[in-house]
Amino acid sequence: MSILQVTGLKKIYTTRFGGNSVEALRNVNFTVENGEYVAIMGESGSGKTTLLNILAALDKPTAGSIILDGQDLSQVKESQIAAFRRDNLGFVFQEFNLLDTFSIEDNIYLPLVLAGKGYKEMQERLKPIAVQLGIAELLKKYPYEISGGQKQRVAIARAIITNPKLILADEPTGALDSKSTDELLRLFSTINTSGHTILMVTHSVKAASHAGRVLFIKDGEVFHQIYRGDSTNEQLYQKISDTLTILATGGERK
Amino acid sequence: MKFGFFPKLAWEGIRKNKRLYLPYLTTGAVMVMMYYIMSFLSETDLLTHMRGGNVLKNMLPLGCWIVAVFSLIFLFYSNSFLLRQRNREFGLYNILGMDKRNLAHIVFWETLISGACALICGLGLGIAFSMLAEAGMLNILNAEIDYTLRVDFQSAGKAVLIFAFIYTLLLLKALINVWRRNPVALLNSSKVGEKPPKANWVFAVLGVVILAGAYYIAVSIDEPLTAAVWFFLAVLMVIIATFLLFISGSVALCRLLQKNKRYYYKPNHFVSVSSMVYRMKRNGAGLASICILLTMVLVMLSSTLSLYVGAEDTLNQRYPYDISLRLKIPSVELWNDETIAGMRTSIQEKVPNRKNVQEFSFAESPCMFMEKKIEIDQRAFEEYSLSNSGTAGYLHVISLEDYNRIMGVSETLDPYECFLYIERLKFSDDSITLGKNKELKIKAVLNSMFDITGSGLAAIPHAVLVASDKDTLLALLTDELNRPLMSLYWCYRFDIEGDQSAQLNACDKLRSEMEDIALRQPDGSYSYTLECREYNSAEFYGLYGGLFFIGILLSIVFLFAAVLIIYYKQISEGYEDQKRFEIMQKVGMTKRDIRKSTNSQILTVFFAPIVFAGLHLGFAFPAIWEMLQLFGFTNLLLMVIVTASFFLIFGICYMFIYKMTANAYYNIVSGVHAKE
Repeated sequence: MSILQVTGLKKIYTTRFGGNSVEALRNVNFTVENGEYVAIMGESGSGKTTLLNILAALDKPTAGSIILDGQDLSQVKESQIAAFRRDNLGFVFQEFNLLDTFSIEDNIYLPLVLAGKGYKEMQERLKPIAVQLGIAELLKKYPYEISGGQKQRVAIARAIITNPKLILADEPTGALDSKSTDELLRLFSTINTSGHTILMVTHSVKAASHAGRVLFIKDGEVFHQIYRGDSTNEQLYQKISDTLTILATGGERK
Repeated sequence: MKFGFFPKLAWEGIRKNKRLYLPYLTTGAVMVMMYYIMSFLSETDLLTHMRGGNVLKNMLPLGCWIVAVFSLIFLFYSNSFLLRQRNREFGLYNILGMDKRNLAHIVFWETLISGACALICGLGLGIAFSMLAEAGMLNILNAEIDYTLRVDFQSAGKAVLIFAFIYTLLLLKALINVWRRNPVALLNSSKVGEKPPKANWVFAVLGVVILAGAYYIAVSIDEPLTAAVWFFLAVLMVIIATFLLFISGSVALCRLLQKNKRYYYKPNHFVSVSSMVYRMKRNGAGLASICILLTMVLVMLSSTLSLYVGAEDTLNQRYPYDISLRLKIPSVELWNDETIAGMRTSIQEKVPNRKNVQEFSFAESPCMFMEKKIEIDQRAFEEYSLSNSGTAGYLHVISLEDYNRIMGVSETLDPYECFLYIERLKFSDDSITLGKNKELKIKAVLNSMFDITGSGLAAIPHAVLVASDKDTLLALLTDELNRPLMSLYWCYRFDIEGDQSAQLNACDKLRSEMEDIALRQPDGSYSYTLECREYNSAEFYGLYGGLFFIGILLSIVFLFAAVLIIYYKQISEGYEDQKRFEIMQKVGMTKRDIRKSTNSQILTVFFAPIVFAGLHLGFAFPAIWEMLQLFGFTNLLLMVIVTASFFLIFGICYMFIYKMTANAYYNIVSGVHAKE
């Protein structure tokens, strides 16, 4: 069963007085199945971030529809959108986006507190996650005291503690060193195996090679996709590199 | 590089950051304006020629200096704020290839432009408003107003000098700032990670204790003479306590709330409490300053306006008659009906248009009140005050004859019997010893007494003794060698038929007559005090009106400072919260939630100073009341009304400022500014 269905998505940015318009997304179509781990790749300016913002309901598409778990995003009322986002989506960002005024523990609790959960329940939920992500020792610390890799793990904890239907990750490895990147990608695979659906936007081949499927965006359209099939991470890495070479050298659409 | 490049760059920098620079420039301009106006008023000739104008003329230069000092503080405050925001830009220029000399050029031009702006606008406004200020001042002093526009070049020159100096200091500070930092630090200076503030429990508790102590002192002051000293101590303590409480106490309170899990993990409290800690850490000092400034302004305005509005009352109390003459008689022998009758006749000849005449003789002396004894021998004072056994005060002695006539009663006393009237004293015995060994039986303690000296003594412990007859009186008042122990007086006072000029006229005639009398005496030892209400009225209005006027001017300065601090607080918080809000929105807070939560934070942070100012004012009130009595002010109701209305007016102004600055804040936070 598909959890996310994107059809005919189009986004045009116009300057304030309508003089210039830029087409960020032309015609994007794809679906994500439940429990899938999908990477979206593309060069800068290809429309990745726009797509992610629209999926996160932070921005509105010019045309097209997004259906998340049977619910049309355009039908969600403006007043409900924040609650919708909170209940259905988890976010992992390149810049971690932890609030420096909260301790690690409180940062992870934030979405639950907003949802009105009690302290007991939050504690119960956090325990297994903290162990799984290896952050149990950090809970009382503050963001400024921990490393980038640790921050990103905290961000993942915050994303999955609400049990979202879909985890959106925006260049999650972008600000990490190679060791932290490896660790993080391993974690992503682990939580994917434990049942979470992940949609990751990246331009790192390494990050994408951990996904089950890779979509390539160019000029505002889904240009190509690769399934993992039985490939190992290394084989998938090779395939992605080849595809990117073709894209860069201006290969024709297949 | 082409000439004009740096000035242009500096100008662009100011223009692009107008949200930050506008208040800075306005501060400069307003301070220049206030300085010019004060200086202008102190130089104007009008005050010199006006009765009572001298008081104000002497106070205004002091006001000038206060404005100058505060300008320095405020400009440094807002400038340091600017620098923090501009550092990033300078870092970028630095990395793009400008060396520190080039940056210094930009800083120089920026300071020059802002200084010039402040001076030109400030002087312009100052010249425009100086006429208004002058009219206001003359109105307050009950003087005639003439409207002609004058420019005082001397004052303008002084303002230019002082503010050029201040801006040079600012330039130096900015240059040092640029010189000492490396480019990366410049680039990152606005996003250094910040440790969560630790609650300093010692300071928090200390703040509470000191404040309680200060309040206790203020409330327990019940004697005007010592009030000033204690009040000063209490003010110092309140200032210290306010800073401690706002900086440490607030953080400690938030930490306490965070420890209470049931309270803390609620959508409404979670975000507010945790960011409140940081807010208070950063703004504690600023808020405490606002609180102190507000309290100062409120105290200043309400007490000076009370005095001013109550001046007529005070005047009537202090000078119950239009003209009042007190003649000091040098010896016991001369203190008789014969001498006095002579005086009376010559006065009556000079001033025929008298009415409501009152006359009496009395003796006056400083004294020490002991349990059963009143010591009037000044040679003995020292030992008493050393052993701290008595209360210092004043004693008046009058005769039963004068008492009966003036009070319209017919009491009787046996020899060596007396009536006693006391104020601010306790005296429970039925007999007292006066001086060395003269014992008097107290027949009764009186409830009321006519005014002997004008109410100049209202604030001091004093007693009036009514003695049976003049012989007893004389026996009481002389030592072994028949020298008087107390000063002997004859008092003659009356109202005048006619208007104010008749009063002044009569007063002048009487004065010259008294000069003659004093001259005619062989030993020349008569001395006299002649008080004319009309003369003193101008002095009164000059003094109280002047105080009030200075109060208004300084209030404008302080209020402006308060607004400035608030504005910068809001703006800086806006920039800091901007990023935080983006995150919260992504994590699932609605804009409304965010607005609600910040609204409650801002309100709390914002209104804490005025609430505390109100509290301070409330506790200071009794002490201020005691001190105003020293000025002969006795209208408690008036003072309550004036104080309450000022607090109300300030509350409304404060609301207004809040509305204004809150908008700036929301614009920044919601990114209206960033998208442009």
